[in-house]
Amino acid sequence: MTNVPVEGIKIPDIAHPEPQNNWRKYFSFSTDHKVIGIQYLVTSFVFFLIGGLLSMVIRAELITPPADLIDRTLYNSMFTMHGTIMIFLWIFPSLVGLANYLVPLMIGARDMAFPRLNAAAFWMVPVFGILLMTSYFLPSGTAQAGWWSYPPVSTQNPTDSVITGEFIWILAVAISGVSSIMGAVNFVTTIVRMRAPGMTYFRMPAYVWTVLSAQLIQLAALPALTAGAIMLLFDAAAGTAFFNPEKGGNPVLFQHFFWFYSHPAVYVMVLPIFGVFSEIFPVYSRKPLFGYKVVAVSSLLISGVSVLVWVHHMYASGTPGWMRMLFMASTMLVAVPTGIKVFAWVATIWKGKLRLDTPMLFCLGALLMFVFAGVTGVMLASVPIDIHVNNTYFVVGHFHYIVFGTITMGMFAALYHWFPKMTGRMYFEGLGKVHFILAFIGTNLCFLPMHLAGLHGMVRRVSSYDPEFAFSNVLASLGGFLLGMSTIPFILNMVGSWAQGKPAPDNPWRAIGLEWLVSSPPPVENFEALPIVVSGPYGYGKSDPLVENAAALKEG
Amino acid sequence: MDSSISTEKSDVAIAAHAAHAHEEDHAGNSMFGFIVFLLSESVIFLSFFAGYILLKTTTPDWLPAGVSGLEVSKPAINTVVLVSSSFVAYFAERALKQNNLLVFRLLWLLTMAMGIYFLAGQAIEWSELEFGFGDGVYGGMFYLLTGFHGLHVLTGVLLMGIMLAKSFVPNNYAGGHTGVDATSLFWHFVDVIWIILFVLIYIWQ
Amino acid sequence: MNLKTIIGIGAYVAVLIAASLWVGQQAYGWLPPQATAESMLIDDLFSLFSTIGAFVLLGIAGVVLYTVFTQSVSRFDTSDGPHMEGNIKLEIVWTAIPLLLVFFLAGYSYQTYQQMAVRGPMDLVHLHHLPGSTPTAYAAEMETEPVEEVEVYAKQWAWTFRYPDTGVVSSDLHLPVNRRIRLLMTADEVIHGFYVPAFRLKQDIMPKRVTEFEFTPIREGTYRLNDSQFSGTYFAIMKANVVVESPESYRQWLASAAAQPAVPAENPAYSEYTNKRLKRFGGWKTVEPATPPLVNAISES
Ligand code: HEA
Ligand code: HEA
Ligand code: CUA
Ligand SMILES: [Cu+2]
Repeated sequence: MTNVPVEGIKIPDIAHPEPQNNWRKYFSFSTDHKVIGIQYLVTSFVFFLIGGLLSMVIRAELITPPADLIDRTLYNSMFTMHGTIMIFLWIFPSLVGLANYLVPLMIGARDMAFPRLNAAAFWMVPVFGILLMTSYFLPSGTAQAGWWSYPPVSTQNPTDSVITGEFIWILAVAISGVSSIMGAVNFVTTIVRMRAPGMTYFRMPAYVWTVLSAQLIQLAALPALTAGAIMLLFDAAAGTAFFNPEKGGNPVLFQHFFWFYSHPAVYVMVLPIFGVFSEIFPVYSRKPLFGYKVVAVSSLLISGVSVLVWVHHMYASGTPGWMRMLFMASTMLVAVPTGIKVFAWVATIWKGKLRLDTPMLFCLGALLMFVFAGVTGVMLASVPIDIHVNNTYFVVGHFHYIVFGTITMGMFAALYHWFPKMTGRMYFEGLGKVHFILAFIGTNLCFLPMHLAGLHGMVRRVSSYDPEFAFSNVLASLGGFLLGMSTIPFILNMVGSWAQGKPAPDNPWRAIGLEWLVSSPPPVENFEALPIVVSGPYGYGKSDPLVENAAALKEG
Repeated sequence: MDSSISTEKSDVAIAAHAAHAHEEDHAGNSMFGFIVFLLSESVIFLSFFAGYILLKTTTPDWLPAGVSGLEVSKPAINTVVLVSSSFVAYFAERALKQNNLLVFRLLWLLTMAMGIYFLAGQAIEWSELEFGFGDGVYGGMFYLLTGFHGLHVLTGVLLMGIMLAKSFVPNNYAGGHTGVDATSLFWHFVDVIWIILFVLIYIWQ
Repeated sequence: MNLKTIIGIGAYVAVLIAASLWVGQQAYGWLPPQATAESMLIDDLFSLFSTIGAFVLLGIAGVVLYTVFTQSVSRFDTSDGPHMEGNIKLEIVWTAIPLLLVFFLAGYSYQTYQQMAVRGPMDLVHLHHLPGSTPTAYAAEMETEPVEEVEVYAKQWAWTFRYPDTGVVSSDLHLPVNRRIRLLMTADEVIHGFYVPAFRLKQDIMPKRVTEFEFTPIREGTYRLNDSQFSGTYFAIMKANVVVESPESYRQWLASAAAQPAVPAENPAYSEYTNKRLKRFGGWKTVEPATPPLVNAISES
């Protein structure tokens, strides 16, 4: 389709060698949800490194006030691709991967409802990932209009060719959308229709609830972005005028399309991580999840409210006063169901018997950083405050506390926690703790000073800035580099442990859950006989059995 | 929802659930998944409609220069054909359930023919219009909506073609008619969308 | 609940309140100088949010850290914690309190917004369809107060300001202090944003439309105007100075500027684009910057 050289593009799924199992299956069109889950996780982690590398360049440029490192077009490409890769190629696919691995196991199913659809949805990820990366080789360069891709900037085209970075960007986002919808249909069907006998809705682990809520958002909101992307594509490539003010179009309409999806999308990203918290806190505090049912239902409440708040990204776009007020109120309302969860987690660890293993450390750190991000989020929701800090580093600080401090940290927690299940090996605890300490310090050092710069008026998306902001930026860059380093112990740990870690027992954490009743790693169809569930998911401190037929689940 | 928070599901319900043996119900899964998909798909149309309404009510020069509006009578006939085809599809489906394959095939073919008639009518209308895709917001919106819908009609016709061909495979319906059910559902969906579209574009000028 | 826990909770809350009030006072120090009437309102609001935010954050962090430091056990300990499934009363409390807080915060923000609207009708941002259309009745009513009108033009990547009464065109925005200012803002090709941190105000400027914007500067000085809505390659250097001065020196400046012939303004984007010696890594073809505007009064810094 394009005349682009393809050499030098990495194949994004370098699976780690696995001694007992055949590693080749991770490169094949497998329909086993567990293989697909790991394919997603590894692929997305590679893109995390690429997105992270771009952010390292951003921080290197910003360590000094003038634009002295890279050309301005290249800088604009950096944050555009960084944001796009991190969101569409790291967070989304990694969360889908985790859910792919866990959901069927947790609800007692042998696989997802549509295994082939599942595999097809996964394979689109490397396809659009590589497609997106090819735009580096275009004469026009990559997309440079930010991850929002607002027209008219995004439809300006200084080259003669229609195939621009922006064009590729839109295609990639559209394919990502198709993949996500396929995944969402699959998850919703699986969760609604494939639960094991006795697995009622209120016996599902809270994680499954969050996945369900998140995937419902995808179904309800993602098509709006698709619609916007189609129209943007025509504006950019076919000369239509939907968003082109020169010809009577309305650029703000695109903003509505974009945020109607991309706001709910932030809850698609964070909800499953809430689910991870709800799983991990009970295990490492040896106490049931406090107020499980309310926590479960609050996920749906968050989903519901989340589709009614998008205009808070557009307060300064010339939205009328009534709209600003309405969306201010709806936005702040999200704090209530979210608060229910936060307090429930705190109550879960309260008086527990805490084990500070790596997954627990990551969860505790992520929880604190999330509350901070939530507090700044509520500030942003307030129209008068947002008018000041909108499009400044205050916003950048706010969302990195969530996307890195909460979601990425939460994902690490999940990876450590389920690593023994996925690989049959234990990870190295010492390296895990080093990873946590570096990541926790790095996150705060990198993203806390950004708030200050933003409050003083440092605008985002700039490659040069006034010297008054130099101090915050030096701190942020140092923190950023520390974050870069923090991935090294993680990679060492994962690769090393997978290759030669101690063999893991079926249930190293003495956790309650169907996935811990089968062997590590679980066999292809998960369960020898379908489990018959007889009690709720968090029986810590009690000795009720979870299933009636524990012995029959496993072979031998 | 509140009541179910506080009451644990009874054992009876659990037993009933177990008896369902959901895991084996592939056809049911497919139909459920397909409905979920259609609901999601409809949001794309809703977004386009919302965009259309917003642009129409705020754009100062809505119609391109020299264009006075759309001719309604021919598209109205087209509409009648498309909408009635939904009923034909319904009777086809019913014939299939009564194992009357011949009637099914005939009615199914008729539905396809009506769909093709609609597409042809659309194509003729397009060729006669004096504005193009790039002519202002109006031109863009018109072709976007009708084109995107047309694509769905085409998909529907192709799906029906596949179902028709499959009906000649011996024992094809031994396991149920999910394919036909889904296709006819899709066809109704395409119809409903058209009705909204027709009102928005042709009636509300 | 026994007396000891009540006292314990009481002491904890008291410490929290003291700490949050302190944070709320610090919050003023995190903001640039207050150069408009609106900025004082916003700072008070921000301080309030910081106080409540600190209360929430410190309250939760305190409990979590306390638990971590007092309740940790060895990883080889196999005992379980108490089987507590929930507590309806507690759950109602922690749903109701945030709900009330949220209503309060939204209500208070609304009130602040209204007060700002009285002094600077921010919801009067009219999106006229083309330059020259008539202002709405509401806007006309407000005209009892003397208003200084300035036209703002944004293009890739330059700001120009035109003073309609004198016809002066400038690349700095000069404003008289303590006067109501009304900006009539238009953009050429893409969306730009008018943002002066010291004013705490920000408004996107739509291409081909006039966006009105009102405020009252109350402090003399020179401030930075940023473009706040990403507008392409040279977005970062699309800046201008805002000079708030006494009405007398403002008149003087207008008069002397009116006597100057129009010359091309200094424009960082344009000079960076044409400067071939600039050595930086990489780079692709960019939209060309518009030629520098002709102005009577060129930038002073
Ligand atoms: C991915 C996850 C994520 C999550 C979960 C959130 C959560 C929230 N976000 Fe954030 N946000 C982003 C990601 C996220 N955000 C991103 C990526 C952007 C920028 C995109 C871009 O511009 O590029 C953004 C930008 C953004 C803006 C736009 C700013 C601007 O551009 O001007 C706003 C404004 O309202 C906002 C608000 C909120 C609020 C109110 C929450 C709430 O959900 C937070 C709720 C949580 C709590 C409040 C804490 C726990 C609650 C309690 C302990 C109860 C008691 C508390 C109180 C009563 C205060 N966010
Ligand atoms: C969604 C997830 C996500 C994540 C995890 C991150 C992670 C990080 N982000 Fe990013 N960021 C966004 C999403 C995310 N970001 C978005 C959406 C934007 C807005 C874009 C826009 O404005 O359009 C943004 C914008 C953004 C900016 C603002 C740019 C600007 O406005 O000009 C900055 C600046 O510092 C930044 C920094 C960082 C840093 C330092 C990290 C660190 O946490 C990253 C740490 C890095 C690593 C852990 C990897 C280290 C790897 C190596 C060192 C090399 C090895 C690599 C290979 C072998 C290939 N990000
Ligand atoms: Cu200039 Cu945005
Ligand atoms: Cu949002």
